Amino acid sequence: MEGPLSGVRVADFTWVWAGPFCTMQLAHLGAEVVRVESQRRVCLLRHLPPWLEGKPGINRSGYFNQYNQGKRSITLDLSQPEAKELAKKLVAVSDVAAENFAGGVIDRLGLGYEALKRVNEDIIMIGMSGYGQTGPESGYVSYGPAQVPLAGMSSLTGYAGWQPMHVGMSYGDPNAGRHAAFAVLAALLYRERTGKGQYIDMSQWESTMVLLGEGFMDFAMNGSQPPRSGNRDPWMAPHGIFRCDGEDQWLSIACGSDDEWRSLCAAIGKPDLADDPRFRTLAGRKANEDALETLVEEWTSTQDPMAATELLQAAGVAAFPPMVNYMLDADPHLAERGFWVEKEHPEVGALRHPGIPWRMSETPCEVWRASPTLGQDNDYVFGELLGMSGARIAELSERGVIY
Amino acid sequence: MPDRALEGLRVVECGDRVSATYAGKLMADLGAEVVKVEAPGTGHSARRRGPFPGGEPHPEKSGLFLYLNCNKQGVTLDLARPAGRDLLDRLVADADVLVHDYPPPVADALGVAYERLREVNPRLVMASVSPFGQTGPYRDYAAHEITMASAGGWTWINGWPDRQDMPPLKAFGSQAEYQAGVSAALATLGALFARLRSGKGQHIDVSAQECIASITEMSFSFWSYMHTPAVRWGRRPLQPIDFFECKDGAWVFALCLEEHQWRSLVELMDSPEWTQWEVASNAFVRASNWDALRPFLAEWVAQWNADDLYRAAQQRRIPFAPVSTMGSLVESEHLKARGFFVEVAHPQAGRLQYPGAPYKLSETPWEVRSPAPALGQHNEAVFGDRLGLSAGQLASLREEGVV
Repeated sequence: MEGPLSGVRVADFTWVWAGPFCTMQLAHLGAEVVRVESQRRVCLLRHLPPWLEGKPGINRSGYFNQYNQGKRSITLDLSQPEAKELAKKLVAVSDVAAENFAGGVIDRLGLGYEALKRVNEDIIMIGMSGYGQTGPESGYVSYGPAQVPLAGMSSLTGYAGWQPMHVGMSYGDPNAGRHAAFAVLAALLYRERTGKGQYIDMSQWESTMVLLGEGFMDFAMNGSQPPRSGNRDPWMAPHGIFRCDGEDQWLSIACGSDDEWRSLCAAIGKPDLADDPRFRTLAGRKANEDALETLVEEWTSTQDPMAATELLQAAGVAAFPPMVNYMLDADPHLAERGFWVEKEHPEVGALRHPGIPWRMSETPCEVWRASPTLGQDNDYVFGELLGMSGARIAELSERGVIY
Repeated sequence: MPDRALEGLRVVECGDRVSATYAGKLMADLGAEVVKVEAPGTGHSARRRGPFPGGEPHPEKSGLFLYLNCNKQGVTLDLARPAGRDLLDRLVADADVLVHDYPPPVADALGVAYERLREVNPRLVMASVSPFGQTGPYRDYAAHEITMASAGGWTWINGWPDRQDMPPLKAFGSQAEYQAGVSAALATLGALFARLRSGKGQHIDVSAQECIASITEMSFSFWSYMHTPAVRWGRRPLQPIDFFECKDGAWVFALCLEEHQWRSLVELMDSPEWTQWEVASNAFVRASNWDALRPFLAEWVAQWNADDLYRAAQQRRIPFAPVSTMGSLVESEHLKARGFFVEVAHPQAGRLQYPGAPYKLSETPWEVRSPAPALGQHNEAVFGDRLGLSAGQLASLREEGVV
């Protein structure tokens, strides 16, 4: 099938999550993405759980297999000069080169932008280091989990009066990956117009800070930042995640207007609450938010989350349970939309993975293959793409160059 | 003047949420000509959300609105009226992109439908961003940020672990909307790339629920690979990944993802006895014994000032991070050297420091060319100069409340 980027090739030197998530967006759009890996330095995600049946194995990690769908994998020991030359041959037939090592590392490997430009003048290269390629901290090491506190998100997120919190995932990574993919696409469109490639310096730190506009603008305007306030919102009430019937059962509810509040009151059988002077306006609901939340929770604590969702949604009130992984798995809506991908994988079989969060009407996007096993495409890439003989590939494998 | 990556790209942006607004911002900041369509009188909902200077609401001084709408032209149109819809059609007729985030029932009512607009402009790339997508049983469900983040499985994995009296927790800000926005923007550029070949536009359906369900780290695959239900704070298979309070009251985020980083930390700590115990021997056993080990690390961290510890760790390539505040970020020497924050002058809100570029493109820089538009500021420029309406026509539309 022809995806929107079919014909575009990506030499993918990324690892862990941010970089691979960027190149997976390009694979989702139909680009041919070749991940350059090595047995010498196996991607961290291949070493992380979950593993099928709990049995570790570099091709069995659900974490890796989730975020490398639709890519190819080759192995090159980039500490060796011959391997660097092969990597450059791949770059010579590619449109995009991507990496997310700490600043300076790719240059020291001899595969920086200047080196790659010599083999492919109009290459688009993106570096997605934690701190960016310039500035006094550019050599610092960073991983996705650290981006959340580094960027200021932890100081804004958390229960009222409680310590700074994480956000439950290495959010800096996938966010950087999506922003990086957008920048690469913009550069590809520019190259189509002008013939010129370019270098993109993306800092994961900076691409996380751009998500915190309300926080920075508050500081710019008022010299302060919004206090951690749990699930409350300054402009909506009620707004929270409320206890339901049963152990650890919850429902998120948000009323964005007085109308939505009145609909909520009617739906839960307490229409008189809507006219309670404490709660009639947003200002009143904010001023009496503890009492308001107690009343809402009195109702939710007798309810099943999904049944309550249907009831409230029928009244036009925004409500949805915090979905646990097994609830997503069983969700009829996601199933009907064809969100899941279950492609046969040589070692784990056809397991379920989240797919592509958009649908295109004319150039459908599709995951064409499961995540690659380590080096799965050595023959295709070195043989078919780079024109090397089987004997040569075998010899380089034996000598540990293709490794 | 440097080139702009998206020079000449004409985008129409409408809707009332953050997601389409952010997609428009991403394109505008790389040079696209974005016309933002707002409802006459009230304008976009972000104008009514803060932060505001001194906490005083003012439609031209919302920090969120100012931040999200630099580089755009602003017009007002009442799409509920035929004359308004007609003007939208005329805007769309010579645009490349329409991005909107009207919920599906609202889009239906306003005639913002691809089947109709493709007749107006077959080359149009139209991206519809919605909480649950354009199909499926939840298509018309009401939603706000907290319910979208919940529906995608995010809030469940955030929050204090092992404390069932504390609810799942929303991350700060409009993150589900940002993720839907950046996904819409990158898919849109992909579709524009396809249009170079085909000459045809298309429709893109972006679901915020899916944009979140596809980034919850290894949370989903823990179910599909190991039938393990997700828990709050994610399931941290490794330690340390934790927050600690320092001597000066600031917090630090302690992180060792790779064993060599842990060994460097042990060295930095001067190899205390507890680090030699069997239960500290690798990241996985540390995680299973974290309750016992954590107090030792906490005691050591508490002897440091946060910034000193951060630098000492980074010097040994241990990926610690500070728990930054808005104030500490604005003061960061590294971010100053990179020029991350940009000063923007707005006629009513004044000169303020905004978060800047998520990426630096060497040939086609990200830039701020103009501040956010006042409500209807570009009605003459867009309806008059661009669409050719006479002053008289515009005056009567204004009188009828269409503009």
